[in-house]
Amino acid sequence: MYRGREGQWAFILHRVSGIALALYLLLHVLDISLVMYGPDGPFNAFLAFYHQWPFRIGLVAVMAGVVYHAFNGLRIIIMDFTEWGVKYQAVMWYGVLALTTIIGIPVLVKVIPEIVGRA
Amino acid sequence: MAVARPKTLRQARSSYATNGELAWWIFMRLSGLALIFLVFGHIFMNNIQINVANVDYAYVANRFSKGWVKVYDSFLLGFAMLHGVNGLRYSVEDYFKNPKRRFWAKLILFSVAIILFVMGVMTLWAFTFEEMGNAIDALPHGN
Repeated sequence: MYRGREGQWAFILHRVSGIALALYLLLHVLDISLVMYGPDGPFNAFLAFYHQWPFRIGLVAVMAGVVYHAFNGLRIIIMDFTEWGVKYQAVMWYGVLALTTIIGIPVLVKVIPEIVGRA
Repeated sequence: MAVARPKTLRQARSSYATNGELAWWIFMRLSGLALIFLVFGHIFMNNIQINVANVDYAYVANRFSKGWVKVYDSFLLGFAMLHGVNGLRYSVEDYFKNPKRRFWAKLILFSVAIILFVMGVMTLWAFTFEEMGNAIDALPHGN
């Protein structure tokens, strides 16, 4: 079975994270706009619903998607606008994964205790 | 939109007589660059500096009462909506082969995006639905 090389995986992850982030964005604009109904409106009840742990874990996935999409986007820009970018695209993709992990670890250390209710 | 279903390279080229797609290509890179800073800052302020579970009406109302937040979030909303919806459009064009379904998918996508964008702008610039209703009622009629 053909499993693809780095560039193909980079594209698939960029596409999947991009679609997920765009759909999250639409939902996020909708939920924040509920503040327009005022302090007695549905906003607080809606957010309390969102603060349950499955959605908090979803939010961690959104943050991971943001970091990957951001750094892989930089990789795409480098490939498009430099002479050497395409030559080093595979190496840069591993750099993207490394940066995503390096930024992800302190975020997880901060957020996981909040989700399990110890902070 | 010249040729509904280009079958040759020549027809495909004539379908894209303008540089619209080039402009979007450049926009995706420029807005992407700006969004790295805007979105990282947004997440840092609302997820890292605080526990996001503490976000409630008072927190959001307090944020939207600040001028710099309105400006920051307006740029965030504008760039993110254009970048995100154009990305979804790329996906629709990649995966919806049937021209009819592709048309409807894009129509629904753009309609939802425009409605949400307007709601976002209204929210940021502090109109409540009630105030909007009163403002519309207060307009001089006959204009």
